[in-house]
Amino acid sequence: MALRGSSQVEPGRVPAGVLAVLVHIIFFAFMIFGLNWKTYPPEVMMVDLWSNLPQPEQPITKATPPPPAPAPVQPPPEVKPLPPEPQTPPPPPKPDIALKEKIEKPKPVEKKPSEKELKELKEKELKAQKEKEQKEKKEKEQKEQELKAQKEKELKEQQARIAAEVEQLQREQEANNRRQAQAAAQSRLGNEIAEYKAKILAKIKGHIIMPPDLPGNPVAEFDVTLLPGGDILDVKLRRSSGFAAFDSAVERAIFLAKPLPLPPDPALFPKFRNLSLKVHYRE
Amino acid sequence: MSATVTQDMSMFHLIGSASLPVQLVMALLLVTSFLSWWFIFRKLFVIRQAMRQSDEFENVFWKGPDLNALYQSAASSRHTAGSMERIFEAGFREFIKHKRQPGMDISTVMDGTRRAMRATYQREMDSLESHLSFLATVGSVSPYVGLFGTVWGIMNSFRGLSNVTQATIAHVAPGIAEALIATAMGLFAAIPAVIAYNRYANNIDRLATRFESFMEELSNVLQRQATG
Repeated sequence: MALRGSSQVEPGRVPAGVLAVLVHIIFFAFMIFGLNWKTYPPEVMMVDLWSNLPQPEQPITKATPPPPAPAPVQPPPEVKPLPPEPQTPPPPPKPDIALKEKIEKPKPVEKKPSEKELKELKEKELKAQKEKEQKEKKEKEQKEQELKAQKEKELKEQQARIAAEVEQLQREQEANNRRQAQAAAQSRLGNEIAEYKAKILAKIKGHIIMPPDLPGNPVAEFDVTLLPGGDILDVKLRRSSGFAAFDSAVERAIFLAKPLPLPPDPALFPKFRNLSLKVHYRE
Repeated sequence: MSATVTQDMSMFHLIGSASLPVQLVMALLLVTSFLSWWFIFRKLFVIRQAMRQSDEFENVFWKGPDLNALYQSAASSRHTAGSMERIFEAGFREFIKHKRQPGMDISTVMDGTRRAMRATYQREMDSLESHLSFLATVGSVSPYVGLFGTVWGIMNSFRGLSNVTQATIAHVAPGIAEALIATAMGLFAAIPAVIAYNRYANNIDRLATRFESFMEELSNVLQRQATG
Protein backbone atom coordinates (compact mmCIF):
# COMPACT_ATOMS: atom_id res chain seq x y z
CA MET A 1 0.00 0.00 0.00
CA ALA A 2 2.80 2.41 0.87
CA LEU A 3 4.40 1.81 -2.46
CA ARG A 4 1.18 2.29 -4.32
CA GLY A 5 0.32 5.43 -2.38
CA SER A 6 3.46 7.20 -3.51
CA SER A 7 2.12 6.88 -7.05
CA GLN A 8 4.17 8.76 -9.57
CA VAL A 9 6.23 11.92 -9.25
CA GLU A 10 4.14 14.84 -10.33
CA PRO A 11 5.62 16.40 -13.43
CA GLY A 12 6.50 20.05 -13.83
CA ARG A 13 5.97 21.54 -10.41
CA VAL A 14 8.77 24.04 -10.76
CA PRO A 15 8.15 24.94 -14.40
CA ALA A 16 4.52 25.53 -13.45
CA GLY A 17 5.60 27.95 -10.74
CA VAL A 18 7.91 29.76 -13.13
CA LEU A 19 5.13 30.01 -15.69
CA ALA A 20 2.70 31.34 -13.11
CA VAL A 21 5.16 34.06 -12.14
CA LEU A 22 5.68 34.85 -15.79
CA VAL A 23 1.95 35.21 -16.37
CA HIS A 24 1.72 37.70 -13.53
CA ILE A 25 4.69 39.67 -14.72
CA ILE A 26 3.10 39.92 -18.15
CA PHE A 27 -0.17 40.94 -16.60
CA PHE A 28 1.39 43.71 -14.57
CA ALA A 29 3.50 44.86 -17.47
CA PHE A 30 0.32 45.14 -19.47
CA MET A 31 -1.37 47.05 -16.70
CA ILE A 32 1.51 49.46 -16.41
CA PHE A 33 2.46 50.00 -20.02
CA GLY A 34 -0.70 49.03 -21.82
CA LEU A 35 -2.88 51.51 -20.04
CA ASN A 36 -2.31 55.20 -20.00
CA TRP A 37 -2.31 55.92 -16.32
CA LYS A 38 -1.18 59.48 -16.52
CA THR A 39 -3.85 62.07 -16.68
CA TYR A 40 -3.11 65.27 -18.42
CA PRO A 41 -4.78 68.44 -17.28
CA PRO A 42 -7.68 68.95 -19.64
CA GLU A 43 -6.92 71.52 -22.27
CA VAL A 44 -8.93 74.52 -21.25
CA MET A 45 -11.30 75.45 -24.02
CA MET A 46 -11.26 79.14 -24.64
CA VAL A 47 -14.43 80.26 -26.31
CA ASP A 48 -14.63 83.93 -27.14
CA LEU A 49 -18.18 85.12 -27.52
CA TRP A 50 -18.37 88.02 -29.91
CA SER A 51 -21.44 90.12 -29.51
CA ASN A 52 -20.72 91.80 -32.89
CA LEU A 53 -18.92 89.71 -35.39
CA PRO A 54 -17.39 92.37 -37.70
CA GLN A 55 -14.80 93.42 -35.19
CA PRO A 56 -12.08 91.22 -36.55
CA GLU A 57 -13.02 92.17 -40.12
CA GLN A 58 -12.96 95.91 -39.61
CA PRO A 59 -9.24 96.23 -39.94
CA ILE A 60 -9.62 94.87 -43.47
CA THR A 61 -12.23 97.42 -44.52
CA LYS A 62 -10.14 100.08 -42.94
CA ALA A 63 -7.17 98.89 -44.86
CA THR A 64 -8.94 99.10 -48.21
CA PRO A 65 -9.83 102.83 -48.18
CA PRO A 66 -6.22 103.99 -47.80
CA PRO A 67 -5.11 102.77 -51.26
CA PRO A 68 -7.27 105.38 -53.04
CA ALA A 69 -6.05 108.04 -50.66
CA PRO A 70 -2.39 107.99 -51.62
CA ALA A 71 -3.19 108.38 -55.34
CA PRO A 72 -4.78 111.82 -55.06
CA VAL A 73 -2.13 112.97 -52.67
CA GLN A 74 0.60 112.56 -55.25
CA PRO A 75 -0.76 114.84 -57.99
CA PRO A 76 -0.88 118.04 -55.92
CA PRO A 77 2.86 118.71 -55.88
CA GLU A 78 2.95 118.77 -59.71
CA VAL A 79 0.03 121.11 -60.00
CA LYS A 80 0.81 123.56 -57.28
CA PRO A 81 3.46 125.61 -59.01
CA LEU A 82 1.36 126.37 -62.14
CA PRO A 83 -1.87 128.03 -61.08
CA PRO A 84 -1.88 130.83 -58.61
CA GLU A 85 -4.35 129.55 -56.17
CA PRO A 86 -6.46 131.59 -53.96
CA GLN A 87 -7.25 128.70 -51.78
CA THR A 88 -4.84 127.29 -49.29
CA PRO A 89 -6.12 123.72 -48.90
CA PRO A 90 -3.03 121.62 -49.20
CA PRO A 91 -4.49 118.93 -51.39
CA PRO A 92 -5.48 120.63 -54.64
CA PRO A 93 -5.21 117.73 -56.99
CA LYS A 94 -4.35 118.67 -60.51
CA PRO A 95 -4.09 115.66 -62.74
CA ASP A 96 -2.16 115.54 -65.95
CA ILE A 97 -5.02 116.99 -68.02
CA ALA A 98 -4.72 120.33 -66.28
CA LEU A 99 -1.06 120.39 -67.00
CA LYS A 100 -1.53 119.89 -70.74
CA GLU A 101 -4.00 122.72 -71.00
CA LYS A 102 -1.53 124.98 -69.33
CA ILE A 103 1.21 124.12 -71.70
CA GLU A 104 -0.92 124.52 -74.81
CA LYS A 105 -2.18 127.97 -73.92
CA PRO A 106 1.13 129.73 -73.77
CA LYS A 107 1.88 128.66 -77.34
CA PRO A 108 -0.93 130.58 -79.10
CA VAL A 109 0.15 133.64 -77.17
CA GLU A 110 3.53 133.53 -78.81
CA LYS A 111 2.30 132.64 -82.29
CA LYS A 112 -0.26 135.39 -82.76
CA PRO A 113 2.04 138.23 -82.02
CA SER A 114 4.60 136.98 -84.46
CA GLU A 115 2.13 136.77 -87.38
CA LYS A 116 0.82 140.21 -86.79
CA GLU A 117 4.22 141.71 -86.68
CA LEU A 118 5.07 140.14 -90.02
CA LYS A 119 1.93 141.57 -91.62
CA GLU A 120 2.46 144.96 -90.19
CA LEU A 121 5.96 145.06 -91.45
CA LYS A 122 4.84 144.19 -94.97
CA GLU A 123 1.63 146.31 -95.35
CA LYS A 124 1.37 148.99 -92.77
CA GLU A 125 4.26 149.80 -90.69
CA LEU A 126 3.06 152.75 -88.72
CA LYS A 127 -0.73 152.73 -88.95
CA ALA A 128 -1.00 149.23 -88.02
CA GLN A 129 0.46 149.86 -84.65
CA LYS A 130 -2.80 151.17 -83.30
CA GLU A 131 -4.75 148.25 -84.70
CA LYS A 132 -2.11 146.03 -83.38
CA GLU A 133 -2.39 147.54 -80.01
CA GLN A 134 -6.13 147.17 -80.20
CA LYS A 135 -5.80 143.64 -81.31
CA GLU A 136 -3.29 143.00 -78.64
CA LYS A 137 -5.68 144.44 -76.19
CA LYS A 138 -8.43 142.27 -77.53
CA GLU A 139 -6.18 139.29 -77.45
CA LYS A 140 -5.14 140.13 -73.98
CA GLU A 141 -8.75 140.37 -73.02
CA GLN A 142 -9.40 137.15 -74.79
CA LYS A 143 -6.48 135.58 -73.05
CA GLU A 144 -7.62 136.90 -69.77
CA GLN A 145 -11.07 135.56 -70.44
CA GLU A 146 -9.63 132.25 -71.40
CA LEU A 147 -7.48 132.29 -68.36
CA LYS A 148 -10.44 133.17 -66.25
CA ALA A 149 -12.49 130.39 -67.77
CA GLN A 150 -9.65 128.07 -67.24
CA LYS A 151 -9.26 129.19 -63.71
CA GLU A 152 -12.93 128.74 -63.13
CA LYS A 153 -12.72 125.31 -64.65
CA GLU A 154 -9.79 124.51 -62.49
CA LEU A 155 -11.55 125.89 -59.53
CA LYS A 156 -14.51 123.73 -60.21
CA GLU A 157 -12.36 120.72 -60.69
CA GLN A 158 -10.51 121.59 -57.55
CA GLN A 159 -13.71 121.99 -55.69
CA ALA A 160 -14.93 118.63 -56.91
CA ARG A 161 -11.64 117.17 -55.92
CA ILE A 162 -11.73 118.82 -52.59
CA ALA A 163 -15.22 117.55 -52.08
CA ALA A 164 -14.06 114.07 -52.95
CA GLU A 165 -11.17 114.48 -50.63
CA VAL A 166 -13.33 115.78 -47.88
CA GLU A 167 -15.53 112.78 -48.38
CA GLN A 168 -12.54 110.58 -48.11
CA LEU A 169 -11.36 112.41 -45.06
CA GLN A 170 -14.76 111.92 -43.57
CA ARG A 171 -14.58 108.27 -44.33
CA GLU A 172 -11.20 108.07 -42.73
CA GLN A 173 -12.49 109.93 -39.79
CA GLU A 174 -15.33 107.49 -39.46
CA ALA A 175 -12.84 104.67 -39.49
CA ASN A 176 -10.85 106.55 -36.92
CA ASN A 177 -13.94 106.98 -34.85
CA ARG A 178 -14.62 103.31 -35.08
CA ARG A 179 -11.09 102.56 -34.06
CA GLN A 180 -11.39 104.95 -31.21
CA ALA A 181 -14.64 103.34 -30.16
CA GLN A 182 -12.95 100.01 -30.19
CA ALA A 183 -10.09 101.35 -28.16
CA ALA A 184 -12.59 102.88 -25.83
CA ALA A 185 -14.36 99.56 -25.47
CA GLN A 186 -11.06 97.93 -24.73
CA SER A 187 -10.17 100.50 -22.21
CA ARG A 188 -13.61 100.02 -20.73
CA LEU A 189 -12.88 96.29 -20.46
CA GLY A 190 -9.57 97.20 -18.93
CA ASN A 191 -11.37 99.40 -16.50
CA GLU A 192 -13.75 96.62 -15.67
CA ILE A 193 -10.90 94.20 -15.10
CA ALA A 194 -9.14 96.70 -12.89
CA GLU A 195 -12.37 97.39 -11.08
CA TYR A 196 -13.01 93.74 -10.35
CA LYS A 197 -9.43 93.15 -9.33
CA ALA A 198 -9.85 95.95 -6.86
CA LYS A 199 -13.11 94.40 -5.70
CA ILE A 200 -11.44 91.04 -5.21
CA LEU A 201 -8.64 92.63 -3.28
CA ALA A 202 -11.11 94.57 -1.17
CA LYS A 203 -13.13 91.47 -0.40
CA ILE A 204 -10.02 89.58 0.61
CA LYS A 205 -8.87 92.49 2.73
CA GLY A 206 -12.19 92.46 4.50
CA HIS A 207 -11.46 88.95 5.69
CA ILE A 208 -7.88 89.42 6.80
CA ILE A 209 -7.33 89.36 10.49
CA MET A 210 -4.13 91.34 10.57
CA PRO A 211 -1.45 90.20 12.93
CA PRO A 212 -0.71 93.17 15.11
CA ASP A 213 2.39 95.29 15.17
CA LEU A 214 4.41 94.25 12.19
CA PRO A 215 7.21 96.62 11.38
CA GLY A 216 7.16 98.45 8.06
CA ASN A 217 4.75 97.62 5.30
CA PRO A 218 5.33 93.98 4.32
CA VAL A 219 3.84 92.75 1.05
CA ALA A 220 2.67 89.20 0.47
CA GLU A 221 2.26 88.09 -3.14
CA PHE A 222 -0.07 85.23 -3.97
CA ASP A 223 -0.86 83.39 -7.16
CA VAL A 224 -4.53 82.45 -7.09
CA THR A 225 -6.11 80.09 -9.57
CA LEU A 226 -9.82 80.65 -9.98
CA LEU A 227 -12.69 78.61 -11.28
CA PRO A 228 -15.38 80.23 -13.42
CA GLY A 229 -17.78 80.48 -10.51
CA GLY A 230 -15.34 82.55 -8.54
CA ASP A 231 -14.29 79.57 -6.50
CA ILE A 232 -10.66 79.12 -5.64
CA LEU A 233 -8.85 76.20 -7.14
CA ASP A 234 -5.40 76.86 -5.84
CA VAL A 235 -3.51 79.42 -3.84
CA LYS A 236 0.24 79.65 -3.95
CA LEU A 237 2.45 81.97 -2.02
CA ARG A 238 4.66 83.53 -4.65
CA ARG A 239 6.61 85.87 -2.48
CA SER A 240 6.45 85.78 1.26
CA SER A 241 6.19 88.99 3.15
CA GLY A 242 8.77 87.70 5.56
CA PHE A 243 6.18 87.27 8.27
CA ALA A 244 4.61 83.84 8.33
CA ALA A 245 1.73 85.11 10.42
CA PHE A 246 0.84 87.70 7.83
CA ASP A 247 1.20 85.22 4.96
CA SER A 248 -1.09 82.69 6.57
CA ALA A 249 -3.57 85.39 7.56
CA VAL A 250 -3.79 86.47 3.93
CA GLU A 251 -4.07 82.90 2.69
CA ARG A 252 -6.89 82.20 5.10
CA ALA A 253 -8.57 85.41 4.06
CA ILE A 254 -8.38 84.39 0.40
CA PHE A 255 -10.22 81.18 1.13
CA LEU A 256 -12.71 82.95 3.36
CA ALA A 257 -13.41 85.46 0.63
CA LYS A 258 -14.67 82.88 -1.83
CA PRO A 259 -16.52 83.10 -4.07
CA LEU A 260 -14.51 86.01 -5.32
CA PRO A 261 -16.40 88.66 -7.27
CA LEU A 262 -15.97 88.21 -10.99
CA PRO A 263 -17.27 90.37 -13.81
CA PRO A 264 -20.54 89.10 -15.25
CA ASP A 265 -19.04 88.95 -18.72
CA PRO A 266 -17.65 85.42 -19.02
CA ALA A 267 -15.33 86.54 -21.80
CA LEU A 268 -13.34 88.37 -19.19
CA PHE A 269 -12.79 85.31 -17.08
CA PRO A 270 -9.49 84.30 -18.71
CA LYS A 271 -8.02 87.51 -17.29
CA PHE A 272 -8.93 86.27 -13.86
CA ARG A 273 -8.01 82.63 -14.17
CA ASN A 274 -4.56 83.16 -12.77
CA LEU A 275 -4.63 86.14 -10.53
CA SER A 276 -1.57 87.47 -8.88
CA LEU A 277 -2.47 89.39 -5.78
CA LYS A 278 -0.32 91.76 -3.80
CA VAL A 279 -1.52 92.41 -0.32
CA HIS A 280 0.05 95.18 1.67
CA TYR A 281 0.08 95.16 5.39
CA ARG A 282 -0.66 98.85 5.55
CA GLU A 283 -2.43 100.86 2.94
CA MET B 1 -6.38 72.56 -0.87
CA SER B 2 -3.03 71.76 -2.33
CA ALA B 3 -4.75 69.31 -4.64
CA THR B 4 -3.08 69.82 -7.92
CA VAL B 5 -5.04 69.37 -11.08
CA THR B 6 -2.81 66.59 -12.32
CA GLN B 7 -3.00 63.48 -10.21
CA ASP B 8 -0.34 60.87 -10.23
CA MET B 9 -2.35 57.99 -11.63
CA SER B 10 0.36 55.39 -11.90
CA MET B 11 -0.85 52.02 -10.73
CA PHE B 12 1.67 51.68 -7.95
CA HIS B 13 0.76 55.07 -6.63
CA LEU B 14 -2.91 54.12 -6.68
CA ILE B 15 -2.28 50.85 -4.90
CA GLY B 16 0.01 52.52 -2.41
CA SER B 17 -2.53 55.17 -1.55
CA ALA B 18 -5.38 52.71 -1.13
CA SER B 19 -6.77 52.06 2.32
CA LEU B 20 -5.58 49.08 4.33
CA PRO B 21 -8.54 46.73 3.72
CA VAL B 22 -8.31 47.36 0.01
CA GLN B 23 -4.60 46.67 0.10
CA LEU B 24 -5.21 43.47 2.02
CA VAL B 25 -7.81 42.38 -0.50
CA MET B 26 -5.39 43.10 -3.29
CA ALA B 27 -2.62 41.14 -1.62
CA LEU B 28 -4.99 38.22 -1.02
CA LEU B 29 -6.08 38.29 -4.62
CA LEU B 30 -2.50 38.44 -5.81
CA VAL B 31 -1.61 35.36 -3.80
CA THR B 32 -4.77 33.57 -4.93
CA SER B 33 -4.13 34.44 -8.51
CA PHE B 34 -0.56 33.21 -8.26
CA LEU B 35 -1.62 29.94 -6.66
CA SER B 36 -4.38 29.37 -9.17
CA TRP B 37 -2.01 29.94 -12.07
CA TRP B 38 0.48 27.63 -10.48
CA PHE B 39 -2.15 24.89 -10.21
CA ILE B 40 -3.36 25.61 -13.69
CA PHE B 41 0.08 24.90 -15.10
CA ARG B 42 0.69 21.91 -12.82
CA LYS B 43 -2.61 20.30 -13.78
CA LEU B 44 -1.94 21.07 -17.40
CA PHE B 45 1.30 19.13 -17.25
CA VAL B 46 -0.19 16.30 -15.19
CA ILE B 47 -3.22 15.76 -17.39
CA ARG B 48 -1.20 16.00 -20.58
CA GLN B 49 1.19 13.41 -19.24
CA ALA B 50 -1.61 11.13 -18.12
CA MET B 51 -3.19 11.25 -21.57
CA ARG B 52 0.07 10.65 -23.34
CA GLN B 53 0.94 7.70 -21.09
CA SER B 54 -2.50 6.18 -21.50
CA ASP B 55 -2.16 6.43 -25.28
CA GLU B 56 1.24 4.80 -25.17
CA PHE B 57 0.13 1.99 -22.87
CA GLU B 58 -2.99 1.24 -24.86
CA ASN B 59 -0.89 1.06 -27.99
CA VAL B 60 1.44 -1.45 -26.40
CA PHE B 61 -1.32 -3.43 -24.73
CA TRP B 62 -3.43 -3.98 -27.86
CA LYS B 63 -0.44 -5.09 -29.88
CA GLY B 64 -0.94 -8.31 -27.91
CA PRO B 65 2.38 -8.97 -26.23
CA ASP B 66 2.86 -11.41 -23.41
CA LEU B 67 0.88 -10.15 -20.42
CA ASN B 68 3.52 -11.50 -18.01
CA ALA B 69 6.27 -9.51 -19.71
CA LEU B 70 4.07 -6.41 -19.68
CA TYR B 71 3.43 -6.91 -15.98
CA GLN B 72 7.19 -7.25 -15.28
CA SER B 73 8.02 -3.99 -17.03
CA ALA B 74 5.13 -2.20 -15.32
CA ALA B 75 6.16 -3.43 -11.88
CA SER B 76 9.77 -2.39 -12.39
CA SER B 77 8.94 1.11 -13.59
CA ARG B 78 6.22 1.79 -11.07
CA HIS B 79 7.29 5.39 -10.35
CA THR B 80 7.34 6.50 -13.94
CA ALA B 81 4.35 4.48 -15.12
CA GLY B 82 1.09 6.08 -16.12
CA SER B 83 -2.27 5.61 -14.46
CA MET B 84 -3.48 2.99 -16.88
CA GLU B 85 -0.31 0.99 -16.54
CA ARG B 86 -0.67 1.01 -12.80
CA ILE B 87 -4.28 -0.12 -12.99
CA PHE B 88 -3.14 -2.99 -15.19
CA GLU B 89 -0.32 -3.84 -12.82
CA ALA B 90 -2.59 -3.90 -9.75
CA GLY B 91 -5.19 -6.04 -11.49
CA PHE B 92 -2.69 -8.50 -12.94
CA ARG B 93 -0.86 -8.92 -9.63
CA GLU B 94 -4.12 -9.77 -7.89
CA PHE B 95 -5.00 -12.16 -10.69
CA ILE B 96 -1.66 -14.02 -10.44
CA LYS B 97 -1.88 -14.22 -6.66
CA HIS B 98 -5.32 -15.81 -6.85
CA LYS B 99 -4.30 -18.13 -9.67
CA ARG B 100 -1.40 -19.51 -7.64
CA GLN B 101 -3.78 -20.60 -4.89
CA PRO B 102 -5.31 -23.90 -6.01
CA GLY B 103 -9.00 -24.54 -6.04
CA MET B 104 -10.12 -20.95 -6.46
CA ASP B 105 -13.38 -20.29 -8.23
CA ILE B 106 -12.91 -18.26 -11.40
CA SER B 107 -15.58 -15.74 -10.42
CA THR B 108 -13.87 -15.13 -7.07
CA VAL B 109 -10.58 -14.54 -8.84
CA MET B 110 -12.20 -12.07 -11.22
CA ASP B 111 -13.96 -10.26 -8.36
CA GLY B 112 -10.69 -9.79 -6.50
CA THR B 113 -8.96 -8.60 -9.64
CA ARG B 114 -11.70 -6.12 -10.36
CA ARG B 115 -11.62 -4.74 -6.81
CA ALA B 116 -7.89 -4.24 -6.96
CA MET B 117 -8.19 -2.43 -10.29
CA ARG B 118 -11.01 -0.24 -9.00
CA ALA B 119 -9.01 0.74 -5.93
CA THR B 120 -6.07 1.82 -8.05
CA TYR B 121 -8.38 3.57 -10.46
CA GLN B 122 -9.92 5.57 -7.66
CA ARG B 123 -6.55 6.52 -6.27
CA GLU B 124 -5.44 7.67 -9.70
CA MET B 125 -8.59 9.69 -10.23
CA ASP B 126 -8.12 11.30 -6.86
CA SER B 127 -4.60 12.39 -7.67
CA LEU B 128 -5.72 13.66 -11.07
CA GLU B 129 -8.57 15.62 -9.58
CA SER B 130 -6.55 17.11 -6.75
CA HIS B 131 -6.46 20.93 -6.69
CA LEU B 132 -9.27 21.12 -9.20
CA SER B 133 -11.60 22.21 -6.44
CA PHE B 134 -9.20 25.01 -5.62
CA LEU B 135 -9.53 26.30 -9.16
CA ALA B 136 -13.31 26.11 -8.87
CA THR B 137 -13.23 28.05 -5.61
CA VAL B 138 -10.96 30.72 -7.00
CA GLY B 139 -13.13 31.03 -10.05
CA SER B 140 -16.29 31.58 -8.09
CA VAL B 141 -15.06 33.54 -5.09
CA SER B 142 -12.31 35.85 -6.20
CA PRO B 143 -14.63 38.18 -8.14
CA TYR B 144 -16.57 38.70 -4.93
CA VAL B 145 -13.41 39.36 -2.99
CA GLY B 146 -12.34 41.90 -5.59
CA LEU B 147 -15.77 43.43 -5.50
CA PHE B 148 -15.54 43.73 -1.76
CA GLY B 149 -12.28 45.65 -2.11
CA THR B 150 -13.85 47.90 -4.70
CA VAL B 151 -16.91 48.62 -2.63
CA TRP B 152 -14.76 49.40 0.35
CA GLY B 153 -12.56 51.75 -1.65
CA ILE B 154 -15.52 53.53 -3.20
CA MET B 155 -17.15 53.88 0.21
CA ASN B 156 -14.00 55.53 1.47
CA SER B 157 -13.67 57.88 -1.43
CA PHE B 158 -17.27 58.97 -1.11
CA ARG B 159 -16.89 59.49 2.60
CA GLY B 160 -13.98 61.78 1.87
CA LEU B 161 -16.27 63.72 -0.42
CA SER B 162 -18.53 64.75 2.43
CA ASN B 163 -16.01 67.29 3.70
CA VAL B 164 -15.87 69.11 0.41
CA THR B 165 -18.32 71.88 -0.29
CA GLN B 166 -17.93 71.74 -4.03
CA ALA B 167 -17.82 68.12 -5.05
CA THR B 168 -16.13 67.44 -8.32
CA ILE B 169 -15.49 64.17 -10.07
CA ALA B 170 -11.79 64.84 -9.51
CA HIS B 171 -12.26 64.24 -5.82
CA VAL B 172 -13.67 60.74 -6.20
CA ALA B 173 -12.02 59.59 -9.39
CA PRO B 174 -8.67 58.49 -7.92
CA GLY B 175 -10.37 56.58 -5.12
CA ILE B 176 -12.66 54.78 -7.52
CA ALA B 177 -9.80 54.04 -9.89
CA GLU B 178 -7.74 52.50 -7.11
CA ALA B 179 -10.73 50.54 -5.86
CA LEU B 180 -11.46 49.20 -9.31
CA ILE B 181 -7.97 47.74 -9.45
CA ALA B 182 -9.19 45.26 -6.86
CA THR B 183 -12.02 44.15 -9.13
CA ALA B 184 -9.63 43.87 -12.03
CA MET B 185 -7.36 41.64 -10.01
CA GLY B 186 -10.26 39.50 -8.85
CA LEU B 187 -11.40 39.00 -12.41
CA PHE B 188 -7.87 38.32 -13.53
CA ALA B 189 -7.65 35.52 -10.98
CA ALA B 190 -11.15 34.18 -11.64
CA ILE B 191 -11.41 34.02 -15.40
CA PRO B 192 -8.45 31.71 -16.08
CA ALA B 193 -9.38 29.60 -13.07
CA VAL B 194 -12.90 29.00 -14.35
CA ILE B 195 -11.71 28.25 -17.87
CA ALA B 196 -9.04 25.88 -16.58
CA TYR B 197 -11.44 24.16 -14.22
CA ASN B 198 -13.98 23.45 -16.92
CA ARG B 199 -11.37 22.23 -19.34
CA TYR B 200 -9.57 20.01 -16.84
CA ALA B 201 -12.77 18.55 -15.44
CA ASN B 202 -13.77 17.58 -18.95
CA ASN B 203 -10.34 16.09 -19.67
CA ILE B 204 -10.38 14.08 -16.46
CA ASP B 205 -13.86 12.79 -17.21
CA ARG B 206 -12.68 11.49 -20.55
CA LEU B 207 -9.66 9.87 -18.93
CA ALA B 208 -11.96 8.22 -16.39
CA THR B 209 -14.11 6.72 -19.14
CA ARG B 210 -11.01 5.40 -20.86
CA PHE B 211 -9.77 3.83 -17.61
CA GLU B 212 -13.11 2.23 -16.90
CA SER B 213 -13.47 0.75 -20.34
CA PHE B 214 -9.91 -0.50 -20.12
CA MET B 215 -10.68 -2.18 -16.79
CA GLU B 216 -13.65 -3.98 -18.31
CA GLU B 217 -11.62 -5.09 -21.30
CA LEU B 218 -8.73 -6.24 -19.14
CA SER B 219 -11.02 -8.30 -16.92
CA ASN B 220 -12.41 -9.97 -20.05
CA VAL B 221 -8.92 -10.80 -21.25
CA LEU B 222 -7.89 -12.17 -17.85
CA GLN B 223 -11.04 -14.24 -17.55
CA ARG B 224 -10.38 -15.76 -20.96
CA GLN B 225 -6.83 -16.55 -19.85
CA ALA B 226 -8.03 -18.18 -16.61
CA THR B 227 -10.59 -20.37 -18.31
CA GLY B 228 -8.48 -20.99 -21.40
